[in-house]
Amino acid sequence: MNHNPQSSDGKHDDDSALSDFLGSLMDYTPTIPDELVEHYLAKSGFQCPDVRLIRLVAVATQKFVAEVASDALQHCKARQAAVVKDKRDKQQKDKRLILTMDDLSKSLREYGVNVKHQEYFADSPSTGMDPASRDE
Amino acid sequence: MNDGSLENRKEHEKSQKQSKSSKFRRKSDDFALAIRKVAVAQVCESVGFQSFQHSALETLSDIIVRYIYSIGKTASLNANLAGRAEANVFDVIQGLEELGSGLGFAGSSDVDRCVANSGIVRDIVHYVGHVDDIPFAYDVPRFPVVKEWKGMGSFWEKGEEPLGEHIPSWLPAFPDPETYATRSSAGNEMMSVSNGEKTELARVERKVEQSLLNLQQRFAHNGNEGGSSRDGGDNGRARKASLSNPYLAAPLLFGEKEVEVSPVLLPAKLLNEVALRNHVPENCVVGNHVSLLETFAPAIEAIKSGLCNSDNEQKKVLYNQRPLVHFKIGIGKKSLGMAPDFNSSKKDPGKIASWFGNDNEKDDQKRRAEKILKESRESSQERAQL
Repeated sequence: MNHNPQSSDGKHDDDSALSDFLGSLMDYTPTIPDELVEHYLAKSGFQCPDVRLIRLVAVATQKFVAEVASDALQHCKARQAAVVKDKRDKQQKDKRLILTMDDLSKSLREYGVNVKHQEYFADSPSTGMDPASRDE
Repeated sequence: MNDGSLENRKEHEKSQKQSKSSKFRRKSDDFALAIRKVAVAQVCESVGFQSFQHSALETLSDIIVRYIYSIGKTASLNANLAGRAEANVFDVIQGLEELGSGLGFAGSSDVDRCVANSGIVRDIVHYVGHVDDIPFAYDVPRFPVVKEWKGMGSFWEKGEEPLGEHIPSWLPAFPDPETYATRSSAGNEMMSVSNGEKTELARVERKVEQSLLNLQQRFAHNGNEGGSSRDGGDNGRARKASLSNPYLAAPLLFGEKEVEVSPVLLPAKLLNEVALRNHVPENCVVGNHVSLLETFAPAIEAIKSGLCNSDNEQKKVLYNQRPLVHFKIGIGKKSLGMAPDFNSSKKDPGKIASWFGNDNEKDDQKRRAEKILKESRESSQERAQL
């Protein structure tokens, strides 16, 4: 087959790229500490003495969190932009970007994680109603 | 989530945290819980967020734990499928591909793609190249910390001969016989004290003391917490030697006397040593240690009541020998003005309880016990001279 020698060269390149990357991982310190990752990997039955693999998992997790957070940030900014369209003065006040459950659940839904929060808890039929109509 | 081996404690925890019940949020995992919150917060801050809701942070940290967990599970599954026990980099990458297949990655549709060249890896390489290196904020030690457990020492290890053929030599050795066998002999010795013979009692006491110390050290080597409760327990154990197995005795309430125990003079040095190792034993470790404390508490009560009987005069004694024990000043006032009869057979528990107040701290009781011991010694000396 034609691409056999090519693929074998390609494999060499891939392997070397992979091993180079794993080597470079040791220089990069992921924000998620190794001990934490190792603890949870051990809980799940993952057994490997190689530190580079743990770093790989840590980096992958950090990338995942960063993606989810950036998606949530997009939602947050979109919401602030939508609000600003209506009232211009809010632009000065709402400069703080807050990670809310709302944005988080929207961004996580794309990743297949369903985090739906109860909007309110009602312990009586009149919860949340106007005080005027509550007396009825 | 329920697994078959659920303990009552965990069930209680779960019932408390209804919305947060997951196997990644157990009480034993508090340290990891705190660390992962910090890590996620740092990553969010690097993305651009300035603050977050608590529930959002906890949810996200929970999710990344599940992420790590599922990577580990998939990777170990792949390794097992390939006939290996230890996972490989390819197992990990395949696991990542499985997790990322929901969103898709470059090259996922290729039938004969190479794992090493997978789009996942390229994405990660891209990410690492572009993102600043933000190390974790704290220095994390290795956890969970594994305590070294030194066994009690089997018969074979200690070079002792097990008593009887039915006891194999690899079982833990019995404690020294003095710890549980001198009780009756010490009681007999008490009679001879009043007659003026003290040397034999001193010898017996020294043996008791030595064997009790050995026992204490052995317990301490086991690395068990709640050693303070055991220290008090060792004293009580020696006193209950002639009775049934203390581990099987039912716990008594405070002030209740199990049996009329003739007073035994504890050597002051032993009490000192015991008290030195005493922290405040208010929290007993769950498990068999609780039963130890409960079992020994009545023995301690019995000692106190027994020692009360031997009091003749009350003197206020200062204690300078135990710097580590912090006691409340003012206990001595209660002893003034009370002159119980030496020959009175029983003191009702109410009186004893009022005498000692409502303290439940063992070191306070021990201190009082030692004080009474000293007073009784002096009083018995006086009587011997008479």
